[in-house]
Amino acid sequence: MTQRVQMALLVCVASGGFVYLLYPRLVTSSTDSGHWVMVLFQGLLQIFFMLIYKKGLDYFPDKDLIDIFRQMGKWVAFIILVPYAFILTSMVGFGLRAHSEEIIAILRMSRTPYWAVLAFLVFISAFTAIKGLGTMLRASVIVFIITNLLIMFNTLTVTANFDFYNAFPVWPSSLQFLWDTNFNFLTGFSPLLFLGFVPSENNMKYSHLFWVWTYVTFIILLSVYIPLFIFGQETVVKLHYLVEEAVDTVDMRWFIFSRQTIFFGMSLIAFTIFLNALLLWKAGQLMQKTFNWKKNKRSYSIIAFSSLAFLMGLYVPNQYMIEKSVELSTGIHALLIVIIPLIIFIYGVINRRRMAVYEKK
Amino acid sequence: MGNLVQEIKSKFANHDDFFIHEERFNHTAIFLMGYKTLINFTKSKLYVRQMAELSASVDELFINLSDQLDVKAEQLISAIIEGKLVVISEKNRNAIMETVPQTLSRSIEEPKNENPLQGPFDAFGEDVDMNIGLLRKRLNTDRLYHCSYQVGELEKRRISILYIKGKTPSALIEKIIRKLKQIETDIESLEDLNKHFGYRKFIPVSHLFVTEIPIQAVQSLKKSRVVLFLDNYPSALVFPHLFWDMFVTENDRNFPFLLSFMVRSLRVIGALATLILPGLYVALTSVNPDLLRIDLALFVAESREGIPLTPLIETLTMLVLVDLTIEAIVRLPKSIGSTITMVGGIILGQAMVEAKLVSQLLVIVIAAMVIAASTIVGVQNSLYIRSLKYFILFAASIFGILGLFTGLLFICILLASLTTFDIPYMAFRFPEKGDSQ
Repeated sequence: MTQRVQMALLVCVASGGFVYLLYPRLVTSSTDSGHWVMVLFQGLLQIFFMLIYKKGLDYFPDKDLIDIFRQMGKWVAFIILVPYAFILTSMVGFGLRAHSEEIIAILRMSRTPYWAVLAFLVFISAFTAIKGLGTMLRASVIVFIITNLLIMFNTLTVTANFDFYNAFPVWPSSLQFLWDTNFNFLTGFSPLLFLGFVPSENNMKYSHLFWVWTYVTFIILLSVYIPLFIFGQETVVKLHYLVEEAVDTVDMRWFIFSRQTIFFGMSLIAFTIFLNALLLWKAGQLMQKTFNWKKNKRSYSIIAFSSLAFLMGLYVPNQYMIEKSVELSTGIHALLIVIIPLIIFIYGVINRRRMAVYEKK
Repeated sequence: MGNLVQEIKSKFANHDDFFIHEERFNHTAIFLMGYKTLINFTKSKLYVRQMAELSASVDELFINLSDQLDVKAEQLISAIIEGKLVVISEKNRNAIMETVPQTLSRSIEEPKNENPLQGPFDAFGEDVDMNIGLLRKRLNTDRLYHCSYQVGELEKRRISILYIKGKTPSALIEKIIRKLKQIETDIESLEDLNKHFGYRKFIPVSHLFVTEIPIQAVQSLKKSRVVLFLDNYPSALVFPHLFWDMFVTENDRNFPFLLSFMVRSLRVIGALATLILPGLYVALTSVNPDLLRIDLALFVAESREGIPLTPLIETLTMLVLVDLTIEAIVRLPKSIGSTITMVGGIILGQAMVEAKLVSQLLVIVIAAMVIAASTIVGVQNSLYIRSLKYFILFAASIFGILGLFTGLLFICILLASLTTFDIPYMAFRFPEKGDSQ
């Protein structure tokens, strides 16, 4: 298996971590009909930035994001990349807190305090991040297979409770949601900036990107429509963990477990760990390359970031604040998803023109 | 008696098995010397006498006996240590002779640690040359390259490297050879050799896969891996060790595809069951009992009724006992080993349940786990999978199902992080296409 395919699988796994957390709730709260249109617009927005980003990175085949920013100037790199590392850390902290609450709810570990689960998840994510990208890539193959088998199992069993009339009306009543802030937040739920962390010549090709995008869009549609088909729009907006509640409706007599949500929980754990490991690794890589540290210092910065993330997650007081902080951190991330690809693309074009002029002389 | 003979004699004064035998030929004294323990003296003497009858003069005799004539004293001494016969004449002519050695290694026998089902039954022995011969017999191509190195400080041990030219990446071979040349300490065990390929202190996975079956080594060579032989070690060391060695033996290929697929899947299930079962029991009895269906949960609760130990301690006790039993059976002579099996079976299976120390369900779980662990290929692999289950057990006792699954992921990540000279442990095969030229 080539590294490009492994990279595609890693992005798929990391997207799963983003998608199941708040995505379905944000989508169902923003529109009351024609959810697929919103998902589609969202997907188009993402593929637009993905293509711009990829195009921009292709101008510098042997450089990654950080090298390109350093080429622009030390201060530019410092101003954009260091805050980016901290935004990633906050996403890890708040995201893991939200995930640990959800995992406790799904696995019914009512006696386990959330900080213990949070510490455990932070530890495993940081460990994975320290082991480096190669480890994540190789492990992601196995995780991709396992999680997809679990998701497939869940999806197939849930179909028994589907009521397709719940999805009507198929067409949205208005396109008002395009101007909703929630819609913009949704863009942040995407690991597409990871593309820039591997030099373009070793990175995924356009075909890989297309398959990743298809997979992710499909997963998003599943996560939105499974609860929708089962409960219908009016009920869904009142629920908290949508997919979990939907999967919980299934009752299989022959099965040894009383609730098959544990499989959903397991896939969620795998997604979460890999997503956060990827984010932490990105943060570590940003710090190491921006400041030109030695390679072994990356693990120190990852440890520092994960401790910071743990403290952030620990001190969020309640459910409402968790959601707000997750939305805030992904909102800023969404802003970066807009800014960074555009900067890289424009700088790439300028750089190429400059080179052309230079060669003519 | 010449100076040279005196010198050698004084050098070996404290070696009781060193002999000097005097023969007369054409009125000239000839001294034969060597170790009785390494040389078959009677046969060697006979050979020298026969040669003497064919030769006209002493000079001709020496020429007939050997190619290595008139060498320095140090070389003579090292030749004696290596087990060769040294012949010295009165006039200080000398020769180093290859003679009939004492038979010190066993002949080709059946494998002792592996069990090829309906496959060839010969196994590697202690003699390196015999082992390489076994490989050459099966792989008669001129592309099978072989080079050997003497390493060590006190004693020189011979390490042979075999690979197929054009298949194994030359960069890999260069790296191995460079590492071997750097060795300055004695290589006493596999672990000493293993350390030189990159030290793994807290990880129980070796860089070398040990096999004593020639076809396994031949197939590894064909899959562009390198085979090392250490003298006096009765196995081939396949380098690098990959994850799939745990589930795949070459002998499986003798079965139809479907059957070999089934056998290999069983081994994967075995490894998973070894890792999961004890943790699952603890998770479902102590942390997440409500995840089971209600009648199953009641059954589990009923089986644990009246048992004073907590699930973790209960499981840990049984696991350690079972591991102790396995270790005891390995240690003991075969005639007593069966007693341990019987006593262990009675104590673990019957008495502990009747004394209400452990639940019957746990006995079933442990038995299933022990059987499952035995399906894995290779003794070292089986041991390391058995050692990893303790981590999952502790994680599961704290976090339940979450700990169990995360523990599995952790092990997966840990194994994925291992590399040997940049070849990942989790690789299916290497090199990737296009690198093999």
